[in-house]
Amino acid sequence: MATPIIMPRQGQSVESCIITSWNKKVGDTVEKGDILFSYETDKSSFDEAAPESGVLLAIFHEEGDDVPCLENVCVIGAAGEDISAFAPAGEAAPAPIAEAAPAQEAAPAAAPVTEAAPEATAAASGAISPRAKALAEKTGADLLKAIPTGPNGRIIERDVQSLLDRGLTVSGAASASYTAPVEGTGANGRVVLADLTAPAAPAAAPAAAAPAASVAEYEDVKMPNIRKIIAKQMCASLTEMAQLTYNTSFDATKLLAFRKSLKAGAEKMGLANITLNDVILYAVSRVLKYPKHRVFNAHCLGDTVRYFNNVNIGIAVDTERGLMVPTVFGANNMSLNDISKEAKSVITAAQSGKISPDYLTGATFTVSNLGSLGIESFTPIINPPQTAILGIDCVSKRIKEVDGEDVVYSAMGLSLTADHRVIDGADAARFLQDVAFALENIDLLMAK
Amino acid sequence: MPKSQYVDPAKAFDAGYIHFEDIPVCQYNKTLEEELKIYSKDDMMRIYRDMAIIREFETMLNEVKVKSCYNCVEYNNPGPAHLSIGQEASAVGEAYSLDINDLSFGSHRSHGEILAKGLSSIHKLDDKELYDIMKEFLDGAVLSVVEKHMNAGGNVKELAINFLLYGALAEIFARKTGFNRGLGGSMHAFFIPFGLMPNNAIVGASAPIALGAALYKRSNHKPGIVISNCGDGATGRGPVLEALNFASMDQITKLWGMDGKFEDGGMPILFNVFNNHYGMGGQTRGETMGYDMVARLGAGFNPQQMHAERVNGYDPLAVIDAVTRKKKLLLEGKGPALLDVVTYRVSGHSPSDSSTYRTAEEIEAWKAADPILAFKTKLILGGVATENEFAKIHEDITARMTEVMKLAINDEISPRMDLNKEPDAISSIMFSNEKVVSMDPSREADVLMPKDECPRVKEIKGKIRTAKDASGKPVSKMKMYNVCDGLFEPIIDKFYEDPTLIAYGEDNRDWGGAFGVYKKMTEAIPYHRFFNSPISESAIVGSAVGYAMCGGRAIVELMYADFIGCAGDEIFNQMAKWQSMSAGILKMPIVLRVSVGSKYGAQHSQDWTALCSHIPGLKVVFPSTPTDAKGLMTTALSGTDPVVFFESQRVYGFGEEFRKDGVPEGHFEIPFGEPDIKREGKDVTIVTIGAVLYRAMEAAKILEEKYGISAEIIDTRSIVPFNYEKVIESVKKTGKVLFVGDACERASVMRDMASNITEMAFDYLDGPPVVVGSRNWITPAFELEKSFFPQASWIIDAIAEKIMPIPGYVPETNFTDLEKIERSKKGI
Repeated sequence: MATPIIMPRQGQSVESCIITSWNKKVGDTVEKGDILFSYETDKSSFDEAAPESGVLLAIFHEEGDDVPCLENVCVIGAAGEDISAFAPAGEAAPAPIAEAAPAQEAAPAAAPVTEAAPEATAAASGAISPRAKALAEKTGADLLKAIPTGPNGRIIERDVQSLLDRGLTVSGAASASYTAPVEGTGANGRVVLADLTAPAAPAAAPAAAAPAASVAEYEDVKMPNIRKIIAKQMCASLTEMAQLTYNTSFDATKLLAFRKSLKAGAEKMGLANITLNDVILYAVSRVLKYPKHRVFNAHCLGDTVRYFNNVNIGIAVDTERGLMVPTVFGANNMSLNDISKEAKSVITAAQSGKISPDYLTGATFTVSNLGSLGIESFTPIINPPQTAILGIDCVSKRIKEVDGEDVVYSAMGLSLTADHRVIDGADAARFLQDVAFALENIDLLMAK
Repeated sequence: MPKSQYVDPAKAFDAGYIHFEDIPVCQYNKTLEEELKIYSKDDMMRIYRDMAIIREFETMLNEVKVKSCYNCVEYNNPGPAHLSIGQEASAVGEAYSLDINDLSFGSHRSHGEILAKGLSSIHKLDDKELYDIMKEFLDGAVLSVVEKHMNAGGNVKELAINFLLYGALAEIFARKTGFNRGLGGSMHAFFIPFGLMPNNAIVGASAPIALGAALYKRSNHKPGIVISNCGDGATGRGPVLEALNFASMDQITKLWGMDGKFEDGGMPILFNVFNNHYGMGGQTRGETMGYDMVARLGAGFNPQQMHAERVNGYDPLAVIDAVTRKKKLLLEGKGPALLDVVTYRVSGHSPSDSSTYRTAEEIEAWKAADPILAFKTKLILGGVATENEFAKIHEDITARMTEVMKLAINDEISPRMDLNKEPDAISSIMFSNEKVVSMDPSREADVLMPKDECPRVKEIKGKIRTAKDASGKPVSKMKMYNVCDGLFEPIIDKFYEDPTLIAYGEDNRDWGGAFGVYKKMTEAIPYHRFFNSPISESAIVGSAVGYAMCGGRAIVELMYADFIGCAGDEIFNQMAKWQSMSAGILKMPIVLRVSVGSKYGAQHSQDWTALCSHIPGLKVVFPSTPTDAKGLMTTALSGTDPVVFFESQRVYGFGEEFRKDGVPEGHFEIPFGEPDIKREGKDVTIVTIGAVLYRAMEAAKILEEKYGISAEIIDTRSIVPFNYEKVIESVKKTGKVLFVGDACERASVMRDMASNITEMAFDYLDGPPVVVGSRNWITPAFELEKSFFPQASWIIDAIAEKIMPIPGYVPETNFTDLEKIERSKKGI
């Protein structure tokens, strides 16, 4: 019986560890006690020794991978043993999907091979049998999502069949530039051109003649996975949509006063530490529920627009790992206090890296606040397949004429990016207007 | 081991002595006066002329080799030229009394014999016969050249001499107008219409082949004798000694007559040794042999001492005298005979021979004794002819030879085979692919009773032709038609259909073959068609080759496939090559039955299909069901090509498990090359060679029942030829393929097929084609065989490890690449 080796949990707070090096490769015979791989947390590094002797049958994570603790890293056993049962679950989907395909039931061990659709991924070697390749080419199966179950991580016919069974395909137009897996938005989840990133950048200019200096001219640092995901998503967003940004501002006097009063009365009223952002989330969650603005609380799925009944607000969070967008689900049904608590909870989780992937998907609209960093205006990028994103700018002093007098007031900027494919300029302006009005008259909104 | 001959312990230990007769040594002593009573002046002058022609022909070849020029005609001949300058008297003397019914086989040094026997035949044939032979041969391709370009003055015999010289030379120079389209060359030239049978580049190889020709004459009541020529060096070769023994075996005179039913004479063969004292450079007398004189060998083979005699090969009349007497003996049924013709080759072994093994003095002394010069001197001194007459002969020969050479090197008149223009020219003659029911429809077959009365035929009639009866119950072994019966039926049919069919091998007759295929056939087929051979694998296969060359059909058996090694040259160089080396003139209807063993260890358990299929020119089949055995044997026996017919001892007793209607009755052919789907499936293809079929079926059952994998099983049945289409179609369906057989895996047929399928079905493959063969070891004892031969579990292991891991399956054996690399590093 094969033995899986898991990523140990080195301390309660450690969620995942990074594999720094492999000492063995697939097919190697290992003795009990041999070092299999080295890994590290943010604090220290460790070696993992083989718990028993055997053949290293499969490696599920490569050097540099950040592996969640307790997840299988590799398997030791007798040559030729089937290891598909030990392969960890597929990588978390990089982009949120509204309706994840229901997880298939694990096939019983002795189930006919052709019917088995392993939900696990073995160490992909990049190899694919000619037959599997031909089948994929013929059917447009999305090979990037294939789970190899052939020897040595080879994708074989049954793996492609499994993709087809799960409806994972790529359109012919998209296949040429499809280089990294994305969730498809075409019919039955087919990856279409619209789902893809921009074509690869042209080849870098020839390197300048090497300088004589001994100091390195640059340092190549591999992008962490999350960064790669962000990069792809952002590019995809910009290439696939007709985005444009609308800027406006409103008189934040009442809003700031409201915030002040919340702060002052928090303890007495048993309120959470409600921030300005929370109030904005609250206001947005309400305006999005205006029937006329329902297109802003929606997903554009190619030729279909999916309108949501509830408002799940994604909050763009600045974390050490990079941008993360946790979700406050059903914000429209929450009180301001609840929104505040929930937002705090998911933001903290995102910042600490402990957030469940479930919270990183499912948003119907996103709010990105750069106001605290003094940004006066920007063009937020839509998180596909959402239709819009609201950017919150900083508060600045402005002058307006009131009764013939110049009055200085605190103005807060709003930058709304909307997908022109589904939202016309006037609609965007009206939405923005309503958001501005709600925030400007927060007392009225709260009364609603 | 006939029961009629009692081995009596009371006599086996009788005391006494073996007595030998004196063997004559150069006893010819006729005077010219006596000789002139036998030979006319014309005969004498013709003998001289023939020797001179041979001398000039070889002088020309030597000049071309050494100086690239003969008589001011330049040419470069890269091919071999093994000359026999000095041996002309022996060749002419031998040929003198032979006629076209007498067949002669030679060696790599046989230009002299070819010309001598050719000239002798030309002399004996009448003009019409002669002209017809030349006109018919290769549709007149040779004749038209000499007819058009040389002036024979309207004389057919002169024309025929031109024809002979040109046909032989064009053959030596690899021209399409040569006797064998240039495919035989110097060492293999022959011309059957003159009784000139193939010569052989393998030393001594002609002996068993010539024996087979004699067997053909003996078993088919044909006129004439057979001459097996070789040098003294060849007497060191096993096949030669085997042939001497085989030809001498007692049964031919003691048993084959069957109490007056058939003729009882000995084998009509003369083993003629041109004893030129050297086997290349090894001196036979005094260095590499111990018999002192070749003639002594005769005393070792039968009480008649093979009528052995040593003769002065430098005197053509002494040789004529000896051969004439031996021919008479043979025609009287007193063969075989042996002649030790003392001669000398003053030329080197080949033109590159610097004669380091002999002194110049020795060569000069033999030159001084030159047989041609001596014969001329004798005739001049005896007043038979004048110097001028001889000068005229030489003048004519030189002119004729120069003309012949010019024609033979002219690329337009004597083109080479153009394989760019005719890419299939050689492909088309590798096999004759004919279907011939009887090799001699003019005769009734010699048999002992009507076929229906043959006890085995009666026995088979009562057998059940399926492995299970209608209710699905296994049929009892006694009643079941098995693989042996499947082999027997077409063989007995052919015995009655084709009078030329003969079968032999070790323990074939009374025993019925070691595994009983011929059981109870003895009663029906007479000895001269069906007999026990000595344990002489070279002679068994070699004689079958000679038998087939003469127009007969033979089925010979090697008890175990492992003994293929004992008959290596006969199978690989003779049986395989003669159809094509003869440019399709010869046919080779031979079925060589070989049995693959198990249980008997390292030298009795090998599947050598790879060895046989590697050699171009052999058809190779390996059935493992009664139906396939019958169908393929029927086809093998109806064809004209050599077939190595593999059988497995594991399955001789198996009944028909695949064909619902059982083994077909009557004439039933399965075309060679067509594999058979023994089990249909959709997930993985298993291609089997031989008896491993049954283990593959077992694996398929496990795969289906335990793992839901449906295996398709294709039984190759034939290996050469082989139609890949069915396998490719199956692979298109399944994407996964294994090749399984009992041969050691390395360099096996399975490997070859796997490689071909990789090339041809690459795009359909879902994993590498995998080979499951035996380990690259010796075959261990029966009790350990499961670790050596492929088992059902190995097949599943190979699928799981190399093609498609099977959930829940833990392999028993190691088929991983790492293991393979390690084994290969160690050569195991």
